[in-house]
Amino acid sequence: MAKTLTQEFTKGLWEEIAPFRLVLGLCPVLGVTTTIENGIGMGLATTFVLVFSNILIASLRNIIPSKVRIACFIIIIATFVVVTELLMQAFAYTLFLKLGVFIPLIVVNCIVLGRAEAFASKNDLLPSIADGLGIGIGFTLSLAALGAVRELFGANNLTIWTTPNSVIGIQEVFGTNFEPFTFMVQAPGAFVCLGLMLCLMNLMGSK
Amino acid sequence: MRDLLIMVVVLTVLSAFSGGLLSGLRNATAARIEVQQLKFVKGPAIKKILQGVSNDPIADRFSLKDGDMVRKFFVGKFDGKANTVVLESSGKGYGGDVGLMVAVNMDDDTIVGAGVTTHSETPGLGAMAKDNPAFVSQFKGLPIAEMFKVTNDGGKVNAMSGATITSRAVCAAATQTGSIYQKLKPQLSEKLKEFNK
Amino acid sequence: MLNQKKLIVSHAPFWHDGSSIRVRSYHIMLAALPAALFGIFTYGMPALGVVSLSISFAIIWELLINKVTRRTISIGDGNAALIGLLFAMLLPATSPWWLVATGTLVAVVIGKHIYGGIGGNPFNPVLIGVAILMVAWKDFFDFNEALVNYDLGFAMVYPLAAAKHLGTSGIEAFSTAGLLLGQHSGGIGATFGLGLILGGIYLIIRGFIRWEISVSFLAGVFVTALFFHISDPSQYASPVFHLLTGYTLMGAFFLATEDSSSPVNFIPMLIYGAGAGVMAVLIRNIGAYVDGVVFAILLMNLINPICDKIRPKSLGKVV
Repeated sequence: MAKTLTQEFTKGLWEEIAPFRLVLGLCPVLGVTTTIENGIGMGLATTFVLVFSNILIASLRNIIPSKVRIACFIIIIATFVVVTELLMQAFAYTLFLKLGVFIPLIVVNCIVLGRAEAFASKNDLLPSIADGLGIGIGFTLSLAALGAVRELFGANNLTIWTTPNSVIGIQEVFGTNFEPFTFMVQAPGAFVCLGLMLCLMNLMGSK
Repeated sequence: MRDLLIMVVVLTVLSAFSGGLLSGLRNATAARIEVQQLKFVKGPAIKKILQGVSNDPIADRFSLKDGDMVRKFFVGKFDGKANTVVLESSGKGYGGDVGLMVAVNMDDDTIVGAGVTTHSETPGLGAMAKDNPAFVSQFKGLPIAEMFKVTNDGGKVNAMSGATITSRAVCAAATQTGSIYQKLKPQLSEKLKEFNK
Repeated sequence: MLNQKKLIVSHAPFWHDGSSIRVRSYHIMLAALPAALFGIFTYGMPALGVVSLSISFAIIWELLINKVTRRTISIGDGNAALIGLLFAMLLPATSPWWLVATGTLVAVVIGKHIYGGIGGNPFNPVLIGVAILMVAWKDFFDFNEALVNYDLGFAMVYPLAAAKHLGTSGIEAFSTAGLLLGQHSGGIGATFGLGLILGGIYLIIRGFIRWEISVSFLAGVFVTALFFHISDPSQYASPVFHLLTGYTLMGAFFLATEDSSSPVNFIPMLIYGAGAGVMAVLIRNIGAYVDGVVFAILLMNLINPICDKIRPKSLGKVV
């Protein structure tokens, strides 16, 4: 409990980086990471929900009766998810078209409920914000990393962000003669890729 | 008893707060979301149907009452004259509703073009209705008053191979636009006159 | 150890013919050689290139993964070379180098070593490699397109593709004898029917593979194809045609019989083989893919653990 705010923040970036260390929240990890852009978009949406639900839950934690806490958490999380969905439709419609059904599915993402139950309901406001931000950014980074690997080999591109007129990122990284390994952007490729990345993380940790 | 009361109160207050927030936000963003949808989903479809149009059909839109329903129509101007109107309807496909947009020339009641907008059909089979323009282009030039049917059912439209159900859905949607058009034709021509001023 | 009184017996079944992994690998490679050599002879240098590249890459990947996971170096047992050879035999002769490299990487690393190395793999590593390549680069497995520049004095049409798209009328040019002697296009080592059958019989006689799996696989293909053929002779090819084209013979003798992914008891072996045969023809005749052997055997690999639950009652009391 003696952790500082910085520690609460940074633990989400490496020690407890959600998809790789805790192996949580795998549905979006496998489903949307066909490009870096989708990974970042999904990660930011989740971060938004995480931070705001953490704020609300941490400040209401003394009011919410423990018997109905899960129901209350879900109401709070679901509210912010719908807020995200509406805002994304209004301001980033192309991203919304790509992420589609995965945005409403943030409600059942166990990272969000997990942080609410394990952290925000037991801690003060500031540590909760730090925790939500850390875990959320860690989640975004891992989605982007997985998306980068899959997009690089599966589509030969690295797209960081698309605006209606231009694309930020590198197209055709390996040149035009490269035949993309399309298996990587398909669903089974996501499992294989995630497995190999987990394997790499463990290998790095074991030294 | 007191515990129970607190639970009920907290949950109710939370739910009410959440509901209020969301409905407020929904109202605030509804107009913007509609614009976005028009821009990114329906806009490209309409532009594809109305090739060579001289105005912006998305800006020139109006709605009419059809019984209890409010339907949206888009106007296309060719050679400076507003004579084309785009209608929307849907038919039951293999994986849900298949949305279809049909552009009708008001002068001779024939179809200028058609395009599938929203669908959840099987990729590679039914989804070809949207991806492959060859299928919907069959509607071009046909009179709108016709009952559209696939050849298997005794009609004129060649079904996509492996996607008879989707083809039927598109035909049903086209037939439905026909009936909407017939019903609202007087009002539609009134509206078009306004655009020609 | 010899004067140990206790009799230690693991549970049945037992199957050991005194051979080592190395001997097994080399004998299977020997059995596959006639068909592979025929393929190299037919398709010339490109085929030789693909085969050599495939074997070398398989060994290199095996060595690398051994180093990375800090295990004993296992390239000496010949299993990697065997994977490389069988993998090359399924490829078209014109496969580019990176296709071979990626395929063997997938086969050796994801197919075999992820599961703990030889003996631990639930799927046939070769088939994992081929299946993933087929999904990712469909065009390179279109034999019509891949072999379009060859003129070898016989119809350069992939027989299964012709049967699928044109019905029986498209395959009149293929005689049974021609199919047996490799006069049709296909994978490097998958066309020479006679060579594959001879190799298979050699392996069965020497006891390296079980006849139950091979025979039931062929029977499954034959019977299912026969039903289809009787129901509509103009659309579905004859059973003999199905036996001799595509990967059927490769599957029966070299792929379905892979040690750790096939059952060990009599009845399970029959179910496994026949199931794969039936699935192969179903995929060919009804499914979206031209040849179904790869996916059929992978599917049966999946139910292999359940198959193995059917086993003889153990005698006496089980501790």
